[in-house]
Amino acid sequence: MTVAIETHDLTKRFGDRVAVDHANLSIPTGAVSGFIGPNGAGKTTTMRMLLGLVRPTAGTGSVLGEPLSAPERYMSRIGAMIEGPTFYGPLSGRANLVVLARLAQLPLQRVDEGLERVGLTDRGNDPFRAYSHGMKQRLGIAAALLPRPELLVLDEPTNGLDPAGIGEVRSLLRSLRDDGITVFVSSHLLAELEQICDHVVMIQLGQLMYQGTVEQLVAAQHTEVWARPERPEDTPRLLAGLLAAGRQARSDGPWVCVIADEDCAADLYRLAVREQITLVHLSTRRQTLEQAFLAMTGTVSGDVAQPVASGVGAVGGGR
Amino acid sequence: MILAAFRSEWVKLRRPSLFLSLYGAIAGVALLITILTFALAGHHFRGGGGGGGGGGGRVAITLAQLAQPDALGKAFSGFAGLLGIISLAVAGAQMASEYSVGTLRNLLIRQPRRLVLLAGKYLAVLTFSALAVLLACIIGAATAFVMAHVRGVSTSAWTSSAGLSDSLKAFGEVALAVCGYTTLGIVVGNLLRSPGAAIAVGLVYILPFELILSATVSGSDKWLPGQLLSAVASGGSSDVNLHTAIVRALAYMILLAAGTAALFVRRDVTA
Repeated sequence: MTVAIETHDLTKRFGDRVAVDHANLSIPTGAVSGFIGPNGAGKTTTMRMLLGLVRPTAGTGSVLGEPLSAPERYMSRIGAMIEGPTFYGPLSGRANLVVLARLAQLPLQRVDEGLERVGLTDRGNDPFRAYSHGMKQRLGIAAALLPRPELLVLDEPTNGLDPAGIGEVRSLLRSLRDDGITVFVSSHLLAELEQICDHVVMIQLGQLMYQGTVEQLVAAQHTEVWARPERPEDTPRLLAGLLAAGRQARSDGPWVCVIADEDCAADLYRLAVREQITLVHLSTRRQTLEQAFLAMTGTVSGDVAQPVASGVGAVGGGR
Repeated sequence: MILAAFRSEWVKLRRPSLFLSLYGAIAGVALLITILTFALAGHHFRGGGGGGGGGGGRVAITLAQLAQPDALGKAFSGFAGLLGIISLAVAGAQMASEYSVGTLRNLLIRQPRRLVLLAGKYLAVLTFSALAVLLACIIGAATAFVMAHVRGVSTSAWTSSAGLSDSLKAFGEVALAVCGYTTLGIVVGNLLRSPGAAIAVGLVYILPFELILSATVSGSDKWLPGQLLSAVASGGSSDVNLHTAIVRALAYMILLAAGTAALFVRRDVTA
């Protein structure tokens, strides 16, 4: 596997506060990699260091094979949108892209291509300040695509977008991946990331908690097997049988839930037959990326840190 | 690459809300000052040194003085204060707003060579200021010719070789001084990173602070940057000659530009 981004003990301190703590990133080439973590976890600071906006306090790394300490060698091959779209309010969307195209010595036809790709051709001459939040976000993505990048770094690209807009971004990222572009994207919409990401990096309090494929992450979490007896009065008996067999189980109304691997469904079925309990429902539920995230970081919605009860341990990650 | 950064910056500078309104205001003020100068030439004002009586008082400028070869040059020098303040404010706001709005990160993503970006931006704002000087001088000169005809002032001395030389020299001095004010604007904008604070601090320093200091500390106007720029614009002053003023002002500007560049290159962009 070739890597587009690699860091070794990448660290950033702002005074006494450690924003990123010895992060060892490894982002595969040609994949969509999600970057998730609670607010203030260090995602944006990490991205800023990769883009040469913030100087690392310690650590080394490479981006597209060039050293992190020389961003001028690789930035022409990167498109990025960090911390939302910021442009000059009085200038039109088109003029804002012209500013960036001229700066990077890119042909101006790329401006119209970019506007077309994000569906802003008709509004390209309107001032940026008149744009809706979704339009601003799309202009930010158009700006990131200007250099026809090999690597796209996007910080919360779906922020403020309506469901249709989110769907468009999802399609766009997929098409970019199909074109061979590496995408490194942070988002709070974990369900969205789960749909488009091949690889995921989880960070909390500046430290990497996990990096690897989404499949591996989800598979490493316990699966829930849910069963419902035909007669509700059989539920306690089924639960007792499971607990006696050493299973981690609980009841929820007429339902019985077992936390185990998927093979447990067969054991549960055999137990029910042995106990002469007829089941009207038996299913397994794999954990989603969001549930895995909550279990590992102990936070809700990637925002304010709130401990949640969980017996699930973290998968080995960066440090 | 610097040229690319320069051209990119000009896309922002030529936006109608800035370009037309500011240059329109400069043209208007140059027109007004010139008309008033000619309209009031030869008139007596109360409170001057001329004594009482209906015809007494101070004469700001006479029609005979307006017919001198250096009249246009003096008019150009008269624009320097206003143009300097405008240039300082525009440069400070252009620089600081990149930080406060957050657009600097977009620029650095597309041009990670920070010195190149800063140099292109600086040159663009310098040319913007120089164009403002040129515009003010052209409007002032054109209006002066019209008003000279109206007031019966001979303009033959203005177009003589001495007159043209004086006018060009004054234009160069004003342009140089305004470039100095622009540099101060870039410095203070980069330092404070807020357009409001940059403009306020820049103007407070140049106007009341330096004026009070030069009035209270003897000889200080030979060393204060704003006073030196003012002396450059006027072709020298009673305290410091033109050559010394240019050398000292340039030294200040080079030092300040170097400090700003060092800060710009090393600073984390977190906004």
